Amino acid sequence: MNIEQNLQKAEQLLEAWKKETTRPEPDRLDVSISVDDLHPAVGALHEAHWGYLSAITGLDLGVDSGQLESLYHFCNGAAITTLRVRLPRTGDAALPTIEDIIPPATFFERELHEMLGFKIVGARNIDRLFISDDWPEDVYPLRADFTIDQAKPVEGRHADELPEQGVVGGNTFVVPIGPQHPALKEPGHFEFTVDGEVVTAARMRLGYAHRGIEKAAESRNWIQNLYLFERVCGICSHTHAMAYSLGVEKLAQVEAPARAQAIRELVAGLERIHSHLLWLGVTAHEAGFDTLFMYSWRDRETVMNLLEQLTGNRVNYSANVLGGVKCDIGVEQAKAIKDGLNYLETRIRHYLEVVTTDTMFLNRTRGIGTISFAEAENFGLLGPTARASGLVRDVRVEAPYGAYKQFPISAVTATNGDLEARCVVRLNELLVSCFAIRTIIDNLPEGPLTVKMPRKVPAGETIARVEAPRGELFYYIKSAGGENPARVHIRTPSLCNWVSVLEKAVGRQLADVPMLIAGMDPCFSCNDRLVTVTRTGERNTWSWKQLRQYGIEYYKQ
Amino acid sequence: MRFGTMLKDIVDSFFKKSATQLYPIERTPPPKRYRGALFYDPKACTGCCLCVKDCPSKAIELVILDRAAKRFVLKYHMDRCVYCGQCVVNCKFKCMGMSNEDWEHAVLKKEFMVYYGKEEDIAQFMENIATPVTGATSG
Amino acid sequence: MNNMPPLIAILFFPAGLTLIFTGMFYEWIDRKLVARFQNRVGPRWFQPFADAVKLFAKEQITPGLANPFLFFGLPIIAISGALTAALYVPLMGLAPVHSFPGDLIVTVYLLSLLTMCIGLAGWNTSSRFSLIGATRALTQLFAYEAPFLLALLGPALAAGSWQISEVNGYAQTHWLVLSQPIGFIVALIGLMGKLELPPFDSPEAETEIVAGALTEYSGRGLAIFKIGKSIELIVGITLVSAFYLGGLEGILPFLLKTIAVLLVMTVFQSLLTRLRIDQTVGLWWRFGTILVLLQIVFMIFLRGYPL
Repeated sequence: MNIEQNLQKAEQLLEAWKKETTRPEPDRLDVSISVDDLHPAVGALHEAHWGYLSAITGLDLGVDSGQLESLYHFCNGAAITTLRVRLPRTGDAALPTIEDIIPPATFFERELHEMLGFKIVGARNIDRLFISDDWPEDVYPLRADFTIDQAKPVEGRHADELPEQGVVGGNTFVVPIGPQHPALKEPGHFEFTVDGEVVTAARMRLGYAHRGIEKAAESRNWIQNLYLFERVCGICSHTHAMAYSLGVEKLAQVEAPARAQAIRELVAGLERIHSHLLWLGVTAHEAGFDTLFMYSWRDRETVMNLLEQLTGNRVNYSANVLGGVKCDIGVEQAKAIKDGLNYLETRIRHYLEVVTTDTMFLNRTRGIGTISFAEAENFGLLGPTARASGLVRDVRVEAPYGAYKQFPISAVTATNGDLEARCVVRLNELLVSCFAIRTIIDNLPEGPLTVKMPRKVPAGETIARVEAPRGELFYYIKSAGGENPARVHIRTPSLCNWVSVLEKAVGRQLADVPMLIAGMDPCFSCNDRLVTVTRTGERNTWSWKQLRQYGIEYYKQ
Repeated sequence: MRFGTMLKDIVDSFFKKSATQLYPIERTPPPKRYRGALFYDPKACTGCCLCVKDCPSKAIELVILDRAAKRFVLKYHMDRCVYCGQCVVNCKFKCMGMSNEDWEHAVLKKEFMVYYGKEEDIAQFMENIATPVTGATSG
Repeated sequence: MNNMPPLIAILFFPAGLTLIFTGMFYEWIDRKLVARFQNRVGPRWFQPFADAVKLFAKEQITPGLANPFLFFGLPIIAISGALTAALYVPLMGLAPVHSFPGDLIVTVYLLSLLTMCIGLAGWNTSSRFSLIGATRALTQLFAYEAPFLLALLGPALAAGSWQISEVNGYAQTHWLVLSQPIGFIVALIGLMGKLELPPFDSPEAETEIVAGALTEYSGRGLAIFKIGKSIELIVGITLVSAFYLGGLEGILPFLLKTIAVLLVMTVFQSLLTRLRIDQTVGLWWRFGTILVLLQIVFMIFLRGYPL
C-alpha cells in the first residue's frame, strides 16, 4: 500500500467525525475534529491498526485568537495523519485522555498539561514530568503571554520534592537511583521500591537537564536555531540538525543537492557507530564488565577521530547548514574513513562474538527484560529496543528521506526481545552502517554542496521524521513567514522507551535494574528540552557554609 | 558458551603500548579542519555584518569606525563562542577562518574578549571606549 | 615463634607497619595489572598511599541515624581483626610471629571478622544503599565461607595438622597444587569471593548501590576500612600460596609466589562480568562446595587406606 492509499484509508476511518480535512503535503493528512470526537477517533485508528501514535504537539494560536490547539500525530509507514483539536484558552474545556487506548500517551499528555496548560480529563497521573516542583502553579511556559517574571520559584518547596522515603515497612524500602548515581551518565530520578532484592514498584521523574530549548527557539532566527537544536543531545546531535534542516528545507520548498544529502547520510552513519559503541561500553560497565567498557570506548576514539577529520569537531559536528552541508569529502578523508572502517569492522565482529558467547555476560543479559512483540506494540516502543522484539520501526526503511532512497539501509531485527537481542541488534546495525558508508564513498554524487535558502521561510507547517540511533526523532516545525520560527516541537525516541524500563523492572532483582535502564539506551538530554530555566537575576550561589548546612539538614531525616 | 572471550585482548594489551595519550606531555596536532578559535582578516571586510546576525550565541560584534575607509574592529567573545563556524560560512569575502592551532582555551577569568583589526583601528577603538563618542557602532 | 623480639615483630616487621605498606603495595600491583590488561596506563606506585593520606585528611561526616560508637568503632575492630590474623601466617616468608595448634581456624575467622564488620557497618548507617550492600556482603559471607575453609582443609589434612606453620613446612616438600588441583582452584576463587573482587563484587557494586555497605563512610573510617581490605588481600594470598604453591621459605619465594597468585587473580578480574548475588550464592553452593568435598573425600581415601 503506498502513501496515497494509506491516507485514503485513514480518511475513511475518520469519516464519521471529521469536520475538515486538508493535505498540506503529499504524505500528510490533517483532520480537524471536535474535542468530544477525539476519543472515538483515536479508538478507530487504533482498532484498525493504522500506524502508531508518534507525538502530541500543543500549539498556542495567539492571545488574539483565544485558542489552543493540540495535534495528535499518527504515523503509518511514510504516511502521517494528524488529528487537530481546538480548545479555548480560558475556561473549563478539557481534553479527554487517550491513555486507556494508547498507554504511552500519558507522557505526551503530561507534557501538554505542564507546558501549555491543557486540562486532561481522566488521566491517572497528571504530575509534572519535566518542570521542577517549585515552579508556580498556573504558569505555562510555552504560552504566548508567558513572561520571564512569572517564573518565580514558590517559597518553601524544593525543586525536587521527593515523596516520603525511608523504610516503608518490614523489608520494603525505596531505593533511589538518581539524580546523582554512578549508574547514570546523566541525571534522572528513579525510585524502586525493593523488598529484599526484588523490585516491587517503579517510579520515574525527568527534567533534570531541562534547558528550555523549544521556547528559546522562538526568539532566534532559523540559522541560529540550527545550532541550538544540534545541542539538544551530544550523541545524536547530527540527527537533530538533519531533521531540522530537512524540515526547514521542506517549508522553503528547497531541496539540498544530492551530494549534500549523501554526506549527511555518511555523517549520520558514523554518528550511529559512535553512539552504539558508547552504548556498548555503558551497558558493559553497568554489568560490571569493565574490560569491554574500556575496549569499546578505545575503539570509539577511532570513529571520533574520523569525524573530527571530516567535520572539524568530535561532538556537535556542525556538518549541516540550511540547504546542504559545510564539509566536503576529499580523497584523503575518504581513505582515512575506509581505513578506520576496516579496523572498526574487525572490532565490531569481535564484540558481537563476545556479547553472544561470553557465559558470564550472558548471565546478566540473556532472558532479562524480555519484551514480546505484542508488548512492544502496546508500549509504543521505538528504535533498536523495538527492533529487538521483532517490531520493525525504522524511519530509514519505512519512510526514506534524503539520500536513503539512493543508498538504502536494511532493517536489523531480532526475535527474543531480551537484553542480549538488543546488543545483537545494535551491533549488527553497525555492520550495516559500515557497509552503507563504504557504498556512499564509492558512489558519491557530484555537485554543489549547498543551495540558496531564503532568510524568511514561507508560512506553513511541516513534519520531519528521522531515525536517530535511539529511534524515531519527530520534529514539528511551524513558520509564520518571519525570520524566527513560530513553534518547534521535538519528540525524542527516549521519551517513548521509558515505559519498557518501568514495566519490566517490577518482579526483577535490583541488580538487573541498571541493565534495564541501559538496555533502552536512554538519552536524558534528548528528553529534557522544554521551558526556560534561566531565571536571570536570580542566581543561587551558595556559600560553602550554606552548602554544608544543606547537606547536614538533608541527611538528618 | 565460552569463558573469557576477551582473553586474547587482555594478554595482547599487556605487552602493547597503552591507548592513553599522556597529555600535556604528548600532544597530537588536530586535523586541518578542526574548528578552534576564530581569526579575522580586516583587509577584505566590507562591514556587511552577516556574520554578526547569524551567530547563535552573540559572540561577535563588529565595531564600524569608518565604513567608507573600511576601518573595522571585531570584538570576539571567546567565552560565548560555540565554535560552530556559521560566521565563516556566511562571510562572502573570506575574511574569517577557524584556526586549528589555537584550541587550548582554559583560562582563569570568564570574560575572554579578543579584538581583531588593524593596529591603529584597535587603538582608536580603545580611545573611543574610554571617552564615549556618539556615532557608528553596530552589532 | 619468630626469633625477633615480639613487640618489634608485631608493630614493625613483618606485621604492623611493614604489613600495611606491603598491603598497599599489593593493592597497587593489582590496580596496575588490571589497568594494563584494559589497555590503560594505571596509577603510579604511590597511589594507594596517597589515597590513604588524602582520606585521613578529609572530614568524617556521620549520618544522623547511625550509632556513633559503632560508626567509629567498627573500622577499628575490622582492622584489628585483619592485623591479628596476619600474626599467624608466614608473612614475608618468615616464620609466623605467633603460632599454636589450631591457628588455621582462628586466622580464617579473624579474616571473616572484617567482612562481618563491614556488614554491621552497613546496617548501622541505615542508608538505603548501605542496607542492601550489608545484606549482600553477609549473604556472600555465608556462601563462600564453607568452600574456602574446606579448600584450606585439604592441605591441612595432607599435612596432618591444623597449625599453619606446620602445613607451611609440609608444603615446602610437597607441591600440593599438583596433587590437589581442584582444591587450589576453589581456594583461589574463594579468595576472590572473600576479598569481594570482581566478578564477586556484588556487595559493592558501583553501578547499582553506589558503594555498598561503605557508602556513607568518609575520611578516617573509610581509610581504615580500605587499609583493612588490603591487609586481607595480602594475608589471604599468603595463606593460599603457602598451602598450595610449595610453602614460603624466604622473602624471594614469598614475593614470586604471591605475585603469581595476584597475577592470576587480576586476569580473572578483567575477564569476567560481575555476578548477581543470587548467581554468586548459587555458584558457590552448587559448584564450589561439591567440588571441594569431592576433593577432600578423594584425598581421605588416598591417605586413609593405610589407616
